[in-house]
Amino acid sequence: MPLHPTFPLPDESISAFAGAMCSVVVLDNGGGLIKAGHGGDLDPTAVLPNCLLRPLSSKKFLHPDPLHSSSAAALDLTSAAVRRPIDRGYLINADLQRDIWAHLFANHLRVSTSSSSLLLTEPPFTLPSIQRATDELVFEDFNFKSLYVADSAALVHLYEASTSPQGLVSKAQCSLVVDCGFSFTHAVPVFQNFTLNYGVKRIDLGGKALTNYLKELVSYRSISVMDESFLMDDVKEKLCFVSLDVDRDLQLARKPGWDNLFRCTYVLPDGVSHTKGFVKDPEAARRYLKSTDESHLIGGTIIDVEKPESAEDRKRIDLTKNEFDLTNERFLVPEMIFQPADLGMNQAGLAECIVRAINSCHPHLHPVLYESIILTGGSTLFPQFAERLERELRPLVPDYYQVKITTQQDPILGVWRGGSLLASSPDFEAMCVTKAEYEEMGSARCRRRFLR
Amino acid sequence: MEPEVIEAELVLPTYFSFKKTQIYEKYPKGQSSARRFKHLKQIIQAENIQSYPPDEPNYVNIESPPSMHPSKRICDITGYEAPYHDPRTKLRYANAGVFKVIRSLPSEYVQRYLALRNAAVVLR
Repeated sequence: MPLHPTFPLPDESISAFAGAMCSVVVLDNGGGLIKAGHGGDLDPTAVLPNCLLRPLSSKKFLHPDPLHSSSAAALDLTSAAVRRPIDRGYLINADLQRDIWAHLFANHLRVSTSSSSLLLTEPPFTLPSIQRATDELVFEDFNFKSLYVADSAALVHLYEASTSPQGLVSKAQCSLVVDCGFSFTHAVPVFQNFTLNYGVKRIDLGGKALTNYLKELVSYRSISVMDESFLMDDVKEKLCFVSLDVDRDLQLARKPGWDNLFRCTYVLPDGVSHTKGFVKDPEAARRYLKSTDESHLIGGTIIDVEKPESAEDRKRIDLTKNEFDLTNERFLVPEMIFQPADLGMNQAGLAECIVRAINSCHPHLHPVLYESIILTGGSTLFPQFAERLERELRPLVPDYYQVKITTQQDPILGVWRGGSLLASSPDFEAMCVTKAEYEEMGSARCRRRFLR
Repeated sequence: MEPEVIEAELVLPTYFSFKKTQIYEKYPKGQSSARRFKHLKQIIQAENIQSYPPDEPNYVNIESPPSMHPSKRICDITGYEAPYHDPRTKLRYANAGVFKVIRSLPSEYVQRYLALRNAAVVLR
């Protein structure tokens, strides 16, 4: 094992060591999206769905296009069948994952796996048999030179601490990472770059469950979209938001016509002129932000949003009936994270979950943890998520503690950036398990190095 | 092994002393590579969680526990929030109109409404 001399990691220069190292592949293997790139870079090279797809036009399962790709021949995802290697956040289908990774390494990253190291993220408390299968995949199928399995919460903490060296997170070296991802939501206390295992709490709700709930609601109320996962993902990302006062918003959502701030129309793809759905009137879809202003509620009249001149104007594109209206679905769907009981789940909401996670840590850590809550993961991208969480959290927290919620600039990539930072640190090689060690000692012994 | 064989990265069945079944025994060459995979629930079942020490966190016991807040009371008939509850039938109701309805219900229907929220009296 090559031992590098240890010296402190400079906070400001992420890419200073990238040239000197042999290549490290940083792979944030999420249930929804794979984020992959080279260690030391600022952004991942490829962000693509972690699945294989079979559109209606094809007989075989195909690899999905990366997000934000500008290829003209984008797949038409209408009613596409999906196979995912990850179930509830844990890797269960190693075979499928190998196909996806092989495609990723060959076509997107263009690395030779036998001459590079791998930094892989894994959810907390991965079951031993899954860890074994992962090691088999990394060392026996791909022949990686060495492997480091990282905890995603610790990586987020590392990234946040490095972006603001004067901030509380880096000074106190502890934070509470709330990772609200595709498969589930974790509240994880991190102390000095290590996850405090006894404080981790999980809610079995993530972006996938929310999309499915939206699918059910829309299918029941207007048009059956049970097969259209990707379409409804798009609807959820564009139109859903977190309500700051659910009871009031439910009342508002019952109003007819233009008085209803939440009503908006989503146009379904017709397969001819547009293969992607879109929001009919994006201006109107943003009107809900005005509803936080309490003043107009008394009179019940909406000010300062001018009505469109005529009904014609709004119905420019309404040639067919391929569209549906959303009203209270827009805020009832993200509401599930805060009140899982509404779905019939016997679990506490996010705010209570955070309080429980913090209460299971040492009392000396409580004030710092409440003041350094970091939100990450794609499901925290709903507008007003942080405000709502703060409003729910404040009554539950003793009044002599400050509550401060930090949102990340790009919550989807937060974990990956932390991984990239770690991979470019000079100690990284020494923390890895090499292929030779794996072949000699096996999976279980090697895993002890990662304290998992 | 000769260095040129290793460099050529020929697929050689490697033997690992720490494994009970080697990977080339599990998936012999020439057969279809479609591995059966288990779902997470099956993996958890096979994991023998009961043998784990109870005070150590693992996948099963980090689940967020049920909420400490009192649950919302919902009217059994209309689905609105229910401030009242009928002591005779044990049904929750939203307003006087609903109350008239539930008093006129036959007891069999009342039991079915109660069964919807697992509150029915089951005689065994």
